[in-house]
Amino acid sequence: MSEPATSAACEHILEQLYQFHDHELTEAEATEIREHLMACEPCLDRYDVEQALRLLIRRCCAAQAAPETLRMRIRTTVTRTVIVTEG
Amino acid sequence: MLMTLPTLPDETTETDAERALRFENDALPYLDQLYGAALRMTRNPADAEDLVQETFAKAFAAFHQFTPGTNLKAWLYRILTNTFINTYRKKQRQPAESGGDSIEDWQLARAEAHTSTGLRSAEMEALDRMPDSAVTEAMQELAPDFRLAVYLADVEGFSYKEIAEIMGTPIGTVMSRLNRGRNQLRRLLADYAVEHGLIPGEDDE
Repeated sequence: MSEPATSAACEHILEQLYQFHDHELTEAEATEIREHLMACEPCLDRYDVEQALRLLIRRCCAAQAAPETLRMRIRTTVTRTVIVTEG
Repeated sequence: MLMTLPTLPDETTETDAERALRFENDALPYLDQLYGAALRMTRNPADAEDLVQETFAKAFAAFHQFTPGTNLKAWLYRILTNTFINTYRKKQRQPAESGGDSIEDWQLARAEAHTSTGLRSAEMEALDRMPDSAVTEAMQELAPDFRLAVYLADVEGFSYKEIAEIMGTPIGTVMSRLNRGRNQLRRLLADYAVEHGLIPGEDDE
């Protein structure tokens, strides 16, 4: 009763949830997942958590600006290579 | 040669100065992103700077081999990854790969997903209240291959195929690293949430 009767279907969905998030499923597979998520609250909860986790990772690990000194060093390397090989 | 007006640079006629300019225009804009990735890989700013500088030096030296119009970002990440594996990873102490078979991890996560919905919303609440530092620290604790796969997928938005090319592994390995990395990350964050009272532990009712 408390256990959803569709647990085999849920397992199938959860196996593909990462790929669904990663946009790595075909349109037909993705549609199947979407339809299941609309009808199954536990799986939708799981989806929401996964989505929240991804946004959190992206925000926390967002690219930091490289130090300006590093940018200068790399530009110098490139320019010097040109001068040396052409000069 | 008089007749050709190539739209794409022709590496046989391109002068070094032209190539350098093209490199600056095309490759250098990825500096911040590569530095961010290097920070996650090396876990310290000094090594990250060295790694990125070496990556750009190698990329510039090999730039005549890069096919214009193909995926430059993935190409640069591939050089970054190879350089990291060949140079830096050897001298870094790696955290022990946390045990557990991937299938076991995955099935565990599956089983956990079917506990009560109340726990799920508690998890959502915990994620809302999770400080950034807890997430970056949890990322640092992942094994390097798992961390890189998660970073490339979740932060950089690369496809499985691109990650496979960057890491030089089959797509199946990418998926397994992503699964294991994400599952470990969830577990680390769940531990953090319990320890810091963001969600009630099993003892509380």
